[in-house]
Amino acid sequence: MSTKRRNLYLYLTLACFFGIIAIFIVDGYMGVYDTVYITAGEREQKIESDVWQRGDKFWSTGITRGEKAFCRYEVDNRRFSTYEAEIDVSIWRMQQKIDEILSQQIAVDPFDKEVLEWVIDTTELIPPDAPPEQGFDFTLRIKKDELERNIILYINPSPYPVKPVPAAPR
Amino acid sequence: MSIKLEYVLFGFGILFCLAGVGYLAAEYVKNLSEVGKLISLLLTVAMFAFLSKYFEDIGW
Repeated sequence: MSTKRRNLYLYLTLACFFGIIAIFIVDGYMGVYDTVYITAGEREQKIESDVWQRGDKFWSTGITRGEKAFCRYEVDNRRFSTYEAEIDVSIWRMQQKIDEILSQQIAVDPFDKEVLEWVIDTTELIPPDAPPEQGFDFTLRIKKDELERNIILYINPSPYPVKPVPAAPR
Repeated sequence: MSIKLEYVLFGFGILFCLAGVGYLAAEYVKNLSEVGKLISLLLTVAMFAFLSKYFEDIGW
């Protein structure tokens, strides 16, 4: 009887231990996760939500002047209830809003994903009279209710055009 | 003399293991939700309580 009770305590201890491990795994999986994908210059960058959770407030990416960046914003709802949020995407420079890209209400079903896509055209952002050797910084601001995701878009200067060498006189 | 040295080394080993597990647990706890933290705390208390009862029963 005593041995049985002793073993019961040991099993309960083990059950509690595995319960803690299970909570670590399940709690880490559950939640709402947003991921940003930016494709510029044939390279795709993936910015996961833990980047911002770690405390990095900004992430930067480069776009060649005259080219476009293709952005995808994925909201992954790993909860048992529907997730609703207002998504605002805008471009800022020197604390001024340059462009409002989209503003949309989303409702994501439990354990489902919602994807928003947009394109950033650098020719529309840069003033037409800007010299080609000048680079520009913009902030892509994705606002999901109270949360803000800021991504610095660095627009590289145009490469200098190759000047044709005049043919040597004969 | 050599036995004592072994015990010291065992002590260091156990200490480093506990420190490592404690550090990892602290890192994980940072990412837990409030409910998760509460349940983990209750389970930890229960785990030590049952373990104490087990050691008590075997005569420690």
